[in-house]
Amino acid sequence: MQLDTLAVRLRPRTALEGADLGVRLCQSAARSVYGCYAMVALPVIVLGLASYEIAAWLPGFVIWWAKPWLDRTVLFVLSRAAFGQPTRPVDVWGAQRAVWWRQCAFTWTARRLSPWRTLTEPIYQLEGFSILGARQRMRVIRNRIAGPALMITSVFSLAEIALWLAACSLVFWFAPAGRAPQFEALVMGEAPAWLMLSIPIGYALAVLFVEPFYVAAGFGMYLNRRAELEAWDIEQEFRRAFAA
Amino acid sequence: MPTPSSSKPEGLPARGGVLDTVVTTETPEGILLELRPAGLSVRFYAFAVDGVIRLAIIYAAAIGLALFGQLGLALWLIIIFALEWFYPVVFELMPGGATPGKRMFALRVVMENGLPVTAAAALTRNLLRVADFLPFGYGFAVVSMLLRRDCQRLGDIAAGTLVIHQPRGAPRMALGSVEPVVPVVPLSADDQAALIALAARAPRLTSERLDELAALAAVVSGDAGRRGPDVTRRVLGVAHWSLGRRA
Repeated sequence: MQLDTLAVRLRPRTALEGADLGVRLCQSAARSVYGCYAMVALPVIVLGLASYEIAAWLPGFVIWWAKPWLDRTVLFVLSRAAFGQPTRPVDVWGAQRAVWWRQCAFTWTARRLSPWRTLTEPIYQLEGFSILGARQRMRVIRNRIAGPALMITSVFSLAEIALWLAACSLVFWFAPAGRAPQFEALVMGEAPAWLMLSIPIGYALAVLFVEPFYVAAGFGMYLNRRAELEAWDIEQEFRRAFAA
Repeated sequence: MPTPSSSKPEGLPARGGVLDTVVTTETPEGILLELRPAGLSVRFYAFAVDGVIRLAIIYAAAIGLALFGQLGLALWLIIIFALEWFYPVVFELMPGGATPGKRMFALRVVMENGLPVTAAAALTRNLLRVADFLPFGYGFAVVSMLLRRDCQRLGDIAAGTLVIHQPRGAPRMALGSVEPVVPVVPLSADDQAALIALAARAPRLTSERLDELAALAAVVSGDAGRRGPDVTRRVLGVAHWSLGRRA
């Protein structure tokens, strides 16, 4: 780890401030993040929406289920952005073995249910721990910040729900006068199909926007924790001040 | 609204051109202030705590006022109205500059230039909560707070306010038995701060990591290129010298 090439300024921060650092990183690398993320997220979303033919609840479920796997691309981009490197979709394609397929089954099963998945994902994906070997490491990283990790998971889930409802409410805001859809019909699933699709599409839009920030918040918290454990911030200052 | 030169976030890049979460503003005296804006997560929890407090007051009032029939109902509705609109305004104008929820998470509301929040700004940011609520469920507030580096919601932008983390006190450190050492090279204020940070963190680091870090700064005690417990002790000695201790 070459800390002198790190492009974020480390300083003592609380865990939740660490999450803010991640959000800040995602803002500054937004072009790389959303470019690469769209490459994996759009096919998954289209596939999910297509499953509407099977059952009306399936599209939202497919998108929700795929999130930890989509996160991996975002984390890859963010981990490079932390060192000031931009990422193009080609770079993700080149690194696909590590980014998309390593521990893939695990990502689609147990990881989906982890309440602090974005905090611990860097341990598997960036530090390269095996699934069983990571236990000890995970305890060290998560020690004393499990609470804040749960907090960001719940906040970003709620943010996602808020934006989902906001996106769906646009159907009512922009309906022609006197032709607003029946709210009850929409809830009971009796509205026409094109209208019912607004629900999963609204969810897909919320996931598209919020998920990178959630991954970034977890990654920021992870960076902050490691900086605290290993005094990275002090090393960064020393290298700046006393470099020969 | 007093407007000393407040540099907008786009202004100054963080030190060394690297990413940071602070917003820098300059006072009329030319002093640079670093404000640490609070992000979505911690602000949400402060908001939730305030929501619970407000609900509790409304419930308590409902029980008490139930005895007064129609008059009680009228009073109750007035209380709900006042809580909904003025609860944050009143608390943010009190000395701490924070509602109980914000106080719990050590946050406060200030103007963009770091001054205490004014009455007009407190009213503006809280009345515009309605705009943040649109299109539904605080959608605009979430988007605005995630996209802006100073994490303002629409009400904050209109009022020119920031929600920041309160400055923390310096960490306490055990001075222990280390003898102060006079540095052999001139040290800037930043260098001294870095050395003191090492001394404060030393008890929580493994001894190998501590030696490794001290070796990076060994030049200050004239031990450049060497490492080991003795070098560490002398580097920490310089930190203690920086704190003003003399042998």
